Amino acid sequence: MKALPWLGGAALVLLAVGLYIGLVGSPPDVFQRDYVRIMYMHVPSAFVAYLAVATVFVTSILYLWRGRESYDQIAHSAGELVTLFTAVALGSGMIWGKAVWGTWWTWDARLVTTAVLFLIYVGYLLIRELAEDRRRGARLAAVIGIIGALDVPVIHYSVVWFRTLHQPASIARGDIQMAPPMVAALMINLVAFSFIYVYMLLTRLRLERLEAARAAAELSP
Amino acid sequence: MPHPGGVAAEAHGLARRFDRNVALRPLSLSLPAGAVLLLVGPNGAGKTTLLRLLATSLRPTAGRAAVFGWDVVRNADAVRRVCVYVGTSHGMYEGLTAQENLAFAAAMGGKGDTARAALERVGLTGVGHHPVRTFSTGMKRRLALARAWLLEPRLLLLDDPFSALDADGMGLVDDLTAHVKSTGGSVILATHEWERGVRLADMVVGLAEGRQVATASAAEVTPPRLRALAGGRT
Amino acid sequence: MSAWQRAAALARKDLLLEWRGRETITAMAVLALLVVLLLGFVIGADPARAPAITWVALALAAMLGVTRPTQAEIEQQALETLLLYPGSREHIYWGKWAAILVQLTVLLGMLLVVQGVLFNVDLWPKLPALLGVGLLGIVGLATLGTLFAGLVIHVRGRELLMPLLLLPVALPVVLAAVRLMEVVMTGGPGGLVWFGVLAAFDMLFLLVAPVLYDVVMEEA
Repeated sequence: MKALPWLGGAALVLLAVGLYIGLVGSPPDVFQRDYVRIMYMHVPSAFVAYLAVATVFVTSILYLWRGRESYDQIAHSAGELVTLFTAVALGSGMIWGKAVWGTWWTWDARLVTTAVLFLIYVGYLLIRELAEDRRRGARLAAVIGIIGALDVPVIHYSVVWFRTLHQPASIARGDIQMAPPMVAALMINLVAFSFIYVYMLLTRLRLERLEAARAAAELSP
Repeated sequence: MPHPGGVAAEAHGLARRFDRNVALRPLSLSLPAGAVLLLVGPNGAGKTTLLRLLATSLRPTAGRAAVFGWDVVRNADAVRRVCVYVGTSHGMYEGLTAQENLAFAAAMGGKGDTARAALERVGLTGVGHHPVRTFSTGMKRRLALARAWLLEPRLLLLDDPFSALDADGMGLVDDLTAHVKSTGGSVILATHEWERGVRLADMVVGLAEGRQVATASAAEVTPPRLRALAGGRT
Repeated sequence: MSAWQRAAALARKDLLLEWRGRETITAMAVLALLVVLLLGFVIGADPARAPAITWVALALAAMLGVTRPTQAEIEQQALETLLLYPGSREHIYWGKWAAILVQLTVLLGMLLVVQGVLFNVDLWPKLPALLGVGLLGIVGLATLGTLFAGLVIHVRGRELLMPLLLLPVALPVVLAAVRLMEVVMTGGPGGLVWFGVLAAFDMLFLLVAPVLYDVVMEEA
């Protein structure tokens, strides 16, 4: 954890670079003009959300299998980040849709999947609050975390096929012709967001550990 | 009394808390096979928690416990084969008849066609085909005892068994306890009605506010002491 | 007494209790019927919409009904007793699963009849295929529903959690079942894909859910 400030610094620097390239340094899209720049926030957020889901999945299985508290602490922290980053992805996606196509909600397959994912992991967090004691909540949440993560690919494909197989996609997100600077900008932002994810995860984990220590201290007779 | 040896139930530093609420502080005991333990203390002392921990209905948050050598966490299934917990609520299905309830218990416990015999044992044969919904509390308690007979436990956990029973019903508790003891099993009787409980007991453990405040053989404990323990005064 | 006999005994017990009171199936049927009527009226009774309306009704009713067998145990304080019988908790899962599956099958039958009547669709020639699709779908709902019912029984706010958990996670079932039913009724492409989605979903969760049920039911 000593490296945490360095990690945070690195994340900030990367983000600054990514922002610069995304907002200023890269060219606007042929069709969408400057609105395409929202992509540099939307896509990395969605990517990180899935990264967080994978984290929850793995640590939940480990927690149920081994029972070590630290697995649950990571899972809890990652679960919060799932909701955070899906919310950001949803928000940016909606703004993007409004700007480019004039509607807040396009029923695009990926937007729907992201919304469903958000709901599932809200449930993941809620169950911890509603359970009668911490450990029970952690075990039940782990079950939800595993089921949710397993379901994500199934949800994604069924939503995509629901729209495309039945009728041609009336609103095609369209392949954005990505000029090399745009690809570079996207990549840098992906890396920057990943760094931010790890930084936030570790920070949140530290908070979780401090809370657990305090709770344990309160209980010793 | 046959004492084939072996320890029916043991606990080492067994504790349970629900977040901030400490229901049972670290407790240790050792109950030999063929013995009856009287668990005495006021309401909320942790008697039910201890029984539920031994029955594997709850998992300990500290310490360990074993029933006939089987650890309650690692070998929970083996414990359930030999241990029967008769709780304060009767655990019967109101929409089913008495006989159907017992038949279900026999099926789930792997005990074959013993429902009718168990009904007879507790004197409920006449109402065997009535839905449990129509039973009085005392009758439901008897039915719960019938269920315990049927499952042939080696460790019988009785939680507040004397409440809502008439004199005949209380006699059934005595019978069941004696029966389990005679087959080499043990019984833990949790109650604050110490006068009834102590007649059957070989050992006494007192609980107050989750804490173990007394452990003694029944012979050593005087009635005034028992009264104090039941009232939570140490 | 083998494990499957225990699961069967549990399923029989749940169904017997349900048969005596018929509360769950009535509640589910009434809700489903109201949803069909409401949607049919508001959206329009175009036969092409029938599968979608049917499956929305079925999913909502399933969400309501799937908690009831476990809820009833809690209400009668019988859950702890049930959990203390020897044998794996997985068999409790299968017993409850079987019971809810039977109830959902009855509901499915009713909804198919309603669909035929209200949407003026000739179901008779396609009945086996429709029942097949229906079964694939309700297996998905029952499999996750039984697990979640066991999960939410231990926490406050069950009425909130059950829809929040079941509907998003079971979304692929509803989507696939709707499309597959449309394909059965009116032909069209994609039948194999949707069959694959349903089969994959069912197989995946039939494997995973009983194992996780053990975690969910560790304590009474």
